[in-house]
Amino acid sequence: MKKKLLSVLLAGMMVLSLAACGGGGDDGGSSDGGSGNAAESDEGGSGGGSEGGHKLVVWTWDPAFNIPAIEEAGKIYKEEVDPDFELEVIETLSDDCETKLQTCAESGDFGTMADIILMQDNSYQKFVSFYPEAFTDLTDSGIDFSEFAEGKLAYSTVDGKNYGVPFDNGAVISCYRTDILEEAGYTIDDLTDIDWNKFIEIGKVVKEKTGKYMLSGQANSQDIIMMMLQSAGASLFNEDGTPNLVGNDALNECIDIYQEMVKEGVFYEVNEWDEYVSSITNEQCAGTINGNWIMATVMGMEDTSGNWAITNMPKLMETSGATNYSNNGGSSWYVSSNCQNTDLAYDFLAKTFAGSVTLYENILPTTGAISTWGPAGDSEAYQEPQEFWSDQPIFATVVEFAEKTPSNNTSAYYYDVREVVSTAIQDIMSGGGEKEDILEQAQADAEFYYQ
Amino acid sequence: MESKKKGMSLLAKQRAAGWAFLTPATLMIVVMSFYPMVRAFLLSLQTGRGTNYTFTGISNYARMFEDRVFLRSVTNTFFYLAIQVPIMLILAILLAQLLNNRDLKFKGLFRTCVFLPCATSLVSYAIIFRFLFAQDGLINNALVALGIFSEGYNFLGNAGTAKMVIIIALIWRWTGYNMVFYLAGLQNIEYSVYEAAKIDGANGWRTFWSITVPLLKPTIIMTFIMSINGTLQLFDESVNLTNGGPANATITMSHYIYNTCFLRAPNFGYGSAMAFFVFIIVAILAFINLKVGDTRD
Amino acid sequence: MTEPKNRSMIQRRLIPTYIFLTIFSIISIFPFLWMISAATNNYIDISKGRLLPGKYAVENFKNLVAQQPLARAMTNSFVYAIAVTVICLLICSLAGYGFEIYHDKWKDKLFSILLLAMMVPQVATMIPLFQMFSTAKLLNTAVGFFLPMISTPFMIMMFRQNARAFPIDIIEAARIDGLNELQIFYRMFFPTMRSTYAAAAVITFMNAWNAYLWPKVIMTDGKSLNMVMLIANTIGGYKIDYGMIMMGVLFCSIPTMVVFFVLQKQFAEGITGAVK
Repeated sequence: MKKKLLSVLLAGMMVLSLAACGGGGDDGGSSDGGSGNAAESDEGGSGGGSEGGHKLVVWTWDPAFNIPAIEEAGKIYKEEVDPDFELEVIETLSDDCETKLQTCAESGDFGTMADIILMQDNSYQKFVSFYPEAFTDLTDSGIDFSEFAEGKLAYSTVDGKNYGVPFDNGAVISCYRTDILEEAGYTIDDLTDIDWNKFIEIGKVVKEKTGKYMLSGQANSQDIIMMMLQSAGASLFNEDGTPNLVGNDALNECIDIYQEMVKEGVFYEVNEWDEYVSSITNEQCAGTINGNWIMATVMGMEDTSGNWAITNMPKLMETSGATNYSNNGGSSWYVSSNCQNTDLAYDFLAKTFAGSVTLYENILPTTGAISTWGPAGDSEAYQEPQEFWSDQPIFATVVEFAEKTPSNNTSAYYYDVREVVSTAIQDIMSGGGEKEDILEQAQADAEFYYQ
Repeated sequence: MESKKKGMSLLAKQRAAGWAFLTPATLMIVVMSFYPMVRAFLLSLQTGRGTNYTFTGISNYARMFEDRVFLRSVTNTFFYLAIQVPIMLILAILLAQLLNNRDLKFKGLFRTCVFLPCATSLVSYAIIFRFLFAQDGLINNALVALGIFSEGYNFLGNAGTAKMVIIIALIWRWTGYNMVFYLAGLQNIEYSVYEAAKIDGANGWRTFWSITVPLLKPTIIMTFIMSINGTLQLFDESVNLTNGGPANATITMSHYIYNTCFLRAPNFGYGSAMAFFVFIIVAILAFINLKVGDTRD
Repeated sequence: MTEPKNRSMIQRRLIPTYIFLTIFSIISIFPFLWMISAATNNYIDISKGRLLPGKYAVENFKNLVAQQPLARAMTNSFVYAIAVTVICLLICSLAGYGFEIYHDKWKDKLFSILLLAMMVPQVATMIPLFQMFSTAKLLNTAVGFFLPMISTPFMIMMFRQNARAFPIDIIEAARIDGLNELQIFYRMFFPTMRSTYAAAAVITFMNAWNAYLWPKVIMTDGKSLNMVMLIANTIGGYKIDYGMIMMGVLFCSIPTMVVFFVLQKQFAEGITGAVK
């Protein structure tokens, strides 16, 4: 009688391993009614566009932002250029795209990479300098880079060669709740073209009258410090990419401002990304300063429509070259070296992200993804006043901000140094020692990673 | 082996069967663990990127001891180990003992409740704990309502309390898991042994120490090794609950290794060297454990 | 022997036990209840700390299905987890039995060596394993998923330790009855060790179901994603919809609980009756 159990076990195992050998990739195929893609016979699915001349595989993340954008691009290319064109989009988190790129590069086998992959702008220097073999040089691909904002293009340019087609704009905006500001006796104009001193002053009043913080941010990621630095053209790096933490006046000023904001209850420190998002959505804060992609988060709060406005960010007081404009985040498309049909990939990108005003107009209302491609900024759609944002023509504003943003030094070790600085700032905030000592140690730590 | 069967003595046949039984598992482990391990060891002696490595001997191993963050991660991990493992295992064995009582009602219900935490998937458990311990989270609200704090305390934002939250989370999640092993182990002990002890007048506490613990010894050793191993390789909690913060106060060795390989400027040679360091520590601790515990031979 | 008076006395003596277990159970399930409740609320209520169930369950579910291939991920997760569990139990119990029942010096040595495999951090072997699997064309397959998971020193150890409780005289008796070694294994050991198998099944299923790092590396085509990957996808976006995420998390948690619930009786009943 117990024999039965074992035979069931054995039979089960055989069936499973047979099913599995029969092609794991197809397993879910029948049960999924959704993405009924015609050519799923393509073994392995993601293995580049090797088959036929009309298919491209893309890795990107966020079904509310990047995915609809690339799908729209595919639709346009299919309608206007190649009726047989086919685009397969595989949702892959930003981190996962990078992990996979790295795993492939380390094992020397790029066979599983998609054709076109989106990557954070800040990652380009690192990956292109460490794993150049994973990328294709787009400089002479026929894609016209001259229409993109220069600051944006710099991220994905390594040694004068273009490796990425810029996608979303990372120009920093300050978004504020006009209703909360009003309660404290301010308007959006009071927060326009100001410096951080003024900002803190207003923040204190807002806190006192409404109980709300002005800003929030992740204590362990320090986006705000990075934005402040870039707004003055400063950074954590020297021109040659080595870390510049000791005696960096801009950094010193930023840390002082940050410390004061936290101390005065103007800035709310959180631990994680989702906490940051919810600190905005559950109305703990009167606003936020971030790359303009944060609008996607803000616009999720439909019932606050009309109570938001945007303006530029406060500027540093003591650092020379200070402006009210900066950049945070944003991403660009690259063509992987696994792409077998580079001509198609280049042509696709050239005629969509680097050549279609229609594309940018179509994705604007659904995703809020703002281009860095000049001609799109001039289009009608960008001049439209937006009801959600107190009828401001915010898209044109963002494009304008992007053009005014100073560029700064970066490095292949961007993330290493940034993390060291985040740690140092947390140490300073928790009273772990003198600021100078901590920064000196941080400099040593950062240099350690360069070895 | 089949073909030789006829000529074999009974004993030889048994011996052959013994080896045959463990062959598939052994082969799999050799191919899936040892071979990659050797490859990783070779990698740990090199520096470079991608397909471009040069042999540099033990430089990666020397580097470890100058790396402040790595050293901190070692301290953190051992802190977790020293506090969390004993509490968790004692709780687990106690729960198993209580639940093994024949007269107890609702056993199934209690068992399920205690086990539930480890069935909850990692993401949810991380989010739940972050919510509970958030500055305006439930725990803080309760403490403020009780008048213990005047305002919410940032548990995850302060080094000491963030460590405690990780330990609490680990105990919460893995006690039921370990209890399952003890329960299974207890089931293999004849209930009559307990009845006999009861007739002899032994109380619950004495039965526990004189019968349960010795008979559960193999299981205890197993869970101990497993917990040491699990804690020294702790990764998920550090990543998902605190992200190693604040200021690396909660980062674990595995988390730092992962960062070195995948988040920072890639350095797999160094990452592999640190991984080997972890491996050696776990191996030593497990070996001591086995030697102390295994009295059969 | 079992007069009612005696019984109620026993129950009375157990009161502290009941209290302790109840408190522990409440602490254990609270986060879980919160998860269920959150799956029925919208994100605003959740982030404001609402504990009671709301009426957004259907909406959260609709959003989840609209954004993510839930059916496919569930199917994949089941296929992967069941495959791993069945094969792992078979291979590892055979090995554990082999190591213990036929143990000699060499097997004990071999076992100690195998134990080492448990102690290797996963990050260290990931790249070499990836290389092996991509050469073998096993990326994006269920086989690729389960091969590294089906033979674990831990499971072997579990069966080996538990096999110690298996009485040798049963084996001797069976040999006299003319059963061969394999028959002894599946006619005697297998049914006797039901509780161990059940516990092992729960653990293995759970580990396979919750696997994240490895599938994330080898499942590159989007069609092979499992539930954990699906949840990770929902949490990284510009919008954080806790209600929807919790709905996904709920789907991800239910199977492991069901497996535990179904099998717990098995390993709780144990071998007491079976051996005699």
